Amino acid sequence: MPPLASSLAIDARDVAKSFRSGWLRRRETAALRGVSLAVPRGAIFGLLGPNGAGKTTLLSILATLLTPDRGTVRVLGLDVVREAAALRRRLNMASGRPSFLWSLRVGEIVAFYGRLYGLSGATLRRRVDALVREYELEPYRRVPYNELSTGLKQRVALAKSLVNDPELLFLDEPTLGLDPDVSVRVREHVAALRRERGMTIVLTTHYMREAEQLCDQVAFIKAGQILARGTPDELKRQMKLGSVIALKLDPPTVPWLADADGVLRVTAGRDGWLECAVDDVEKRLPALLRQLFTDGVVVRNVQVREPALEEVFVELAR
Amino acid sequence: MSWRAEWLAVWAVLVRNAIMASRNVFFFFELLFWPIVGVISIGFMTKFLALTPAQGSFVLIGTMALSVVNVCQLEVAYAVLMDVWSKSIKHQFLAPIGIRHLTIGSWIVGMVRGLLVFVLVAALGAWAFGFAVLKPGVGPVAIFLFGCFLNAWIVGVFVCALITLFGNRAEAFAWASVNLVLMLAGIYYPVSVLPEPAAAIARAIPLTYFLDAYRSHFGFATEFAAPIATGLLLSAVYAVAAHLAFLAAIQRARRTGLLLKMSE
Repeated sequence: MPPLASSLAIDARDVAKSFRSGWLRRRETAALRGVSLAVPRGAIFGLLGPNGAGKTTLLSILATLLTPDRGTVRVLGLDVVREAAALRRRLNMASGRPSFLWSLRVGEIVAFYGRLYGLSGATLRRRVDALVREYELEPYRRVPYNELSTGLKQRVALAKSLVNDPELLFLDEPTLGLDPDVSVRVREHVAALRRERGMTIVLTTHYMREAEQLCDQVAFIKAGQILARGTPDELKRQMKLGSVIALKLDPPTVPWLADADGVLRVTAGRDGWLECAVDDVEKRLPALLRQLFTDGVVVRNVQVREPALEEVFVELAR
Repeated sequence: MSWRAEWLAVWAVLVRNAIMASRNVFFFFELLFWPIVGVISIGFMTKFLALTPAQGSFVLIGTMALSVVNVCQLEVAYAVLMDVWSKSIKHQFLAPIGIRHLTIGSWIVGMVRGLLVFVLVAALGAWAFGFAVLKPGVGPVAIFLFGCFLNAWIVGVFVCALITLFGNRAEAFAWASVNLVLMLAGIYYPVSVLPEPAAAIARAIPLTYFLDAYRSHFGFATEFAAPIATGLLLSAVYAVAAHLAFLAAIQRARRTGLLLKMSE
């Protein structure tokens, strides 16, 4: 049963957006072609897709930074065009590779945006202090923005994005260009925001592990259209990628393996592993092992794993 | 939106611009260097041309008006420009603020800076060359300054609109065009000496009337019937036009995606 409109943080229908460029030769590029999207309140929703797929365009329309050419978009029950001013109080955004005024210090940046959202006096000071502490920015509080490392800049962006305690947070590639340890901490913070504050979070990312780890639901966008959506597990099932049986054999290759019953495809992995995608692992694994034993093939090692979201991405991005 | 919320948004921009102004070395040049160069140049030029003290004041008042308007309009333009330069403009327009908050907040900082320039130029002019530009007293000086600040707000907001419309490549064009227009406002000469097409443009510029009114205190006959009222009326018309132009430019930038491009 589809979710009720009131339980939705985002209800976008048939959204289209094109960009025009050039003075003499007008070129028109369709960024979104009739996208519909429903995101329940309190969910972490991932928008995935290759470069230029339309993720940032969609995110920007939802965040009121862009106006759609066609379609209706309601965010937190408000129309993104007609009620944009009221909506802006209730949402916020952080982007990968963030930029803020170069000579403002960390505390001043968070305080500036806090004032824009109506905070003042002791309330503002407490909020800035709390965010600076939460994102471990205390030692850098008086450091100008242009002297911070990439990871610290990202933490400032996250602190700024929470200054108005938004109901809906947009994260555009939040871990882009970060060191792995910093990325892990950013993901932990994002997960905690939903867990502790019940915040709805929409994020775009190129990192499939990040999406798999954080998102309740994901949507794949390609060429301005949503190709698939659902939970990561649902998508794997939808794509019929099967389960993967990885085998290390002696001799290392077996000619009949690709034609065996239930084997969807065979690919050569690293270090002599053969990866067989099968439709039903519990049915196919015993049969395969039996046949290999009969043929005198030595099975040195065997591993079974579910396909990763990355494989869904690769399949859809083709 | 409550008055308190309105003021807080203006205050946010005001504090930001004031902090940025206090930390940028170029602000020193805008505030001190060019105005001082202007007064010294005019002072020696009037000596060389053997102008009377009244004529010298006439020219210096033009220099002061230009310096004040330039410093103040620059600050108003910083409402958008600093965010364009730092590629953070999308965060500003993601927040629940209107262009009135941006332009008024930065205008207040601009007025403080403009006032500093005015006092500095007036003091230097009086000390070095004996110009008595403050002679008319507090009332006329206040009206003259207010006229300059109003013009600066209008110019700054038009510059913001142009930059939001065409991106930061429009910067040079925006300032060149506004300076060209300002030069026709009778900065260094009476409007009556201009050829008619240029005089018609001068009559359409509010600053012309504030200059005319202020110079009348130095013995120069006014060229207009009610210069202050006309200047205020024209300023009101242009202020509304500038505000609407900036609003339309922002809406267009949200439509075309320029707002995002300027943040990349």
